Amino acid sequence: MKEITLTVNDKQLSGKEGSTVLEICQANGIDVPTLCHLDGLSDVGACRMCVVEIEGERKPVPSCTYPARDGLVVKTDTERLEKYRRQILELMFAERNHFCMFCEQSGDCELQKLAYRYQMDNVRYPYQFPSQTMDALSDYLVIEHNRCVLCGRCVRVCSEIAANYALDFSGRGVKTLVSADLAQPVSESTCTTCGACVQACPTGAIFSKLSLYRGITDECQRITTVCPGCAVGCQLDVLVKDNNIVRIEAPELSGIKGPLCKEGRFELLRETRPRLTSPLVRGKQGELEECGWDRAMEIIAGKVNGSKDSFAGMISSRLPNETLSIFNRFINEAVGSGLLDTLDGDICRVISEGIKRFQNNGNGLAIECPIEEILDADCILIVGADPKNTNPIIGNLVQRARRQKGAKLIVVDPSRNVFPLWTDLWLKPKAGSEGALLAGLGKALVDKGLLILEKAGTELIQSLKKYDMVKVCSETGIDKGRLEMAAEMYGQAAHGVIIYGEGLLNSEDPSLITCILNLAALTGNVEGESLRVISLKPGANSRGAWELGLAKRGVERNGLKGLYLLLGDDQVNDGLIDRLKGIGFLVVQASYQSPVTAMADVVLPSPIWAEREGKYVSMDGNELEIRRALKPREGMLQDQEILVKLSKKLGRELITS
Amino acid sequence: MVAKVKVATAWLDCCSGCHMSFLDLDEALVDLAQAIELTATPVTDIKEFTPVDLGIIEGAVSNEHDEEVAKDLRANCKILMVWGDCACFGGICAMRNLFSIEEVLDRYYHTESSVGDRIPSSEDLPPLTKVRPVNQVVKVDCYVPGCPPSAKAIHYALAELLEERIPIIPSEIMRFD
Repeated sequence: MKEITLTVNDKQLSGKEGSTVLEICQANGIDVPTLCHLDGLSDVGACRMCVVEIEGERKPVPSCTYPARDGLVVKTDTERLEKYRRQILELMFAERNHFCMFCEQSGDCELQKLAYRYQMDNVRYPYQFPSQTMDALSDYLVIEHNRCVLCGRCVRVCSEIAANYALDFSGRGVKTLVSADLAQPVSESTCTTCGACVQACPTGAIFSKLSLYRGITDECQRITTVCPGCAVGCQLDVLVKDNNIVRIEAPELSGIKGPLCKEGRFELLRETRPRLTSPLVRGKQGELEECGWDRAMEIIAGKVNGSKDSFAGMISSRLPNETLSIFNRFINEAVGSGLLDTLDGDICRVISEGIKRFQNNGNGLAIECPIEEILDADCILIVGADPKNTNPIIGNLVQRARRQKGAKLIVVDPSRNVFPLWTDLWLKPKAGSEGALLAGLGKALVDKGLLILEKAGTELIQSLKKYDMVKVCSETGIDKGRLEMAAEMYGQAAHGVIIYGEGLLNSEDPSLITCILNLAALTGNVEGESLRVISLKPGANSRGAWELGLAKRGVERNGLKGLYLLLGDDQVNDGLIDRLKGIGFLVVQASYQSPVTAMADVVLPSPIWAEREGKYVSMDGNELEIRRALKPREGMLQDQEILVKLSKKLGRELITS
Repeated sequence: MVAKVKVATAWLDCCSGCHMSFLDLDEALVDLAQAIELTATPVTDIKEFTPVDLGIIEGAVSNEHDEEVAKDLRANCKILMVWGDCACFGGICAMRNLFSIEEVLDRYYHTESSVGDRIPSSEDLPPLTKVRPVNQVVKVDCYVPGCPPSAKAIHYALAELLEERIPIIPSEIMRFD
């Protein structure tokens, strides 16, 4: 980009051609007031707060949409501009119903801050008092039209960043409203409740029900940590006041993981499970009773000592590396059984085995690509995965690629189309026939000459060539034309990304994964050492647990005398309850009461996500730092401390440094 | 001794919080008492205005009586200052403008009433009007917004006026809540 020079407030500033006047001012520390502008969103010049005077222009112009040119002479702070800005503010206040004294956003409101800045102590225009409605039906957010200034930041963040296109304007002129879909209540619309609009709104027009009156930004401490919700590893800014979480927001709204999702932004604040605060042991009546740490640990140590070889450990992969490592050593060194697995171990082993079989790959998950690749994709193939539900940010990236960049989207799923509004082609194989479908896809690619054959082993090519398309079609129930269409879309793509997940992983067939890797490799979707393939792993730190080797082998339940489950604040499902039935002695270290703690012989309280620190490894291999946002309550121990103390009781020091 | 500045105040449709905030000036009131003389105010309980240097209004104009009081004080003062969001912008009182007067009276005397089931009427009772900030009824010279304004903001405004300057509350101490 060409370097340009302009004069702003009598100072020479340089910038890049293609920037707006506002961008160059902001980059040089010149404070131009804005309201509808938000970094990372397109500019629309809706509010006129950023008007500037430019020599040669007949009237003030909005700097956010004015392209900077070499030699421009700009004034940003004249008396005339100040007058106009104050007038604009008065008009905004007069247009709808702004009552700061009872607004939960007071103190955090950009409109209010601007009014203070321009000393707006009265309004010269008659107030309109329009009768506006308020949509408070959602459990998460409220759209309060009375306080809306129609800046459109929510509309733009919903389309440009969240790529959900749920919000838009309806009506015209003063009757314009921000609306979800065709003016539905937001809770009944296609809104995914990611909450990006809440963060984007400059006033109290869209606000979170969960953060109401809990505190304003200035009163809060901001701690940047990592979301424990899924393996994407989004950074969260946790705003804390008096050791309570006021709200959660994205450190960088327009970043790749910027919009966050319902889980990260809201659900973490909606925790209702009863918290465990003290160790519990079975009393004489068989009821769980509170007891001291020492007694609980002695009971555990006594049981472990009596059955060392058949005492196993299971851990949630929602816990950070540090906890996983200590647990690994606890089971291997202090207990000594080496019987160790993660709750999602089965799934990890399927992926692991599938990857290992692919060209005898020894690099493990490094074969997969970063999630950013999705944004550059021109074709996305989703196999047995529902990213919008399991990893919403992945769903968001898929929709961005599809809608904003025109990528083709193919969904392979036996029961439903996981992107109903966006899918170009939905292949619906009969349940259990995904393997045949993938092979059929390979066959169609061979037939169409879309595979890079020199990379494939002759054996593979031969086996694919011999494959019978008629058989594939009858096995999968998909007609040949559709398979060929999918082969063309994916095969002809310059940048094809395959995403697979739960649906495929639950099949417990690693060859499906090998097949997916082959498809990517043979269509040239290779980026250095890795392939454009992404697996959606179940836990926030599944990859960390995998890399630490915690899920190498499963634990055979038969013959187990005891089991130590380190659950942390993870959710309990029926599958887990089934797996724990009939175990002689069960220790559960968990944050919340659950059916699983009710089954336990000893329960130890564990910190929740916001009370922990350590490291996660995201699904695409980035090491992320978890910071402690909340002080744990008195008498609580960190997971590692518990394991170290318990090991000591078993006669083993685990402390290293 | 310099002649004291004569001050009259009035409260219209309000909660009297702004006058309470004025009392929050605490020890500054002692110095202020040397410089000003309160004439007709809710504090002195004198209701009839005489000519003063400074008139102060708290509250919005919500009925015909409010309008009359505002006009009366305006006619009797050289400078008119208004206190609080109700007087500056309409404030909490103005929220009833979102409904018709009939709806408001019905809600108050029928739905929510605990004192009978009748909308009172008497020629002594001023009819309700649309709620307006004071500057839509009479000319206002200076404004101290806030709900209520802080004692600091009120003190700033009075100090400026005593120095014969028309105050505009600085951004740092201006509040709407």
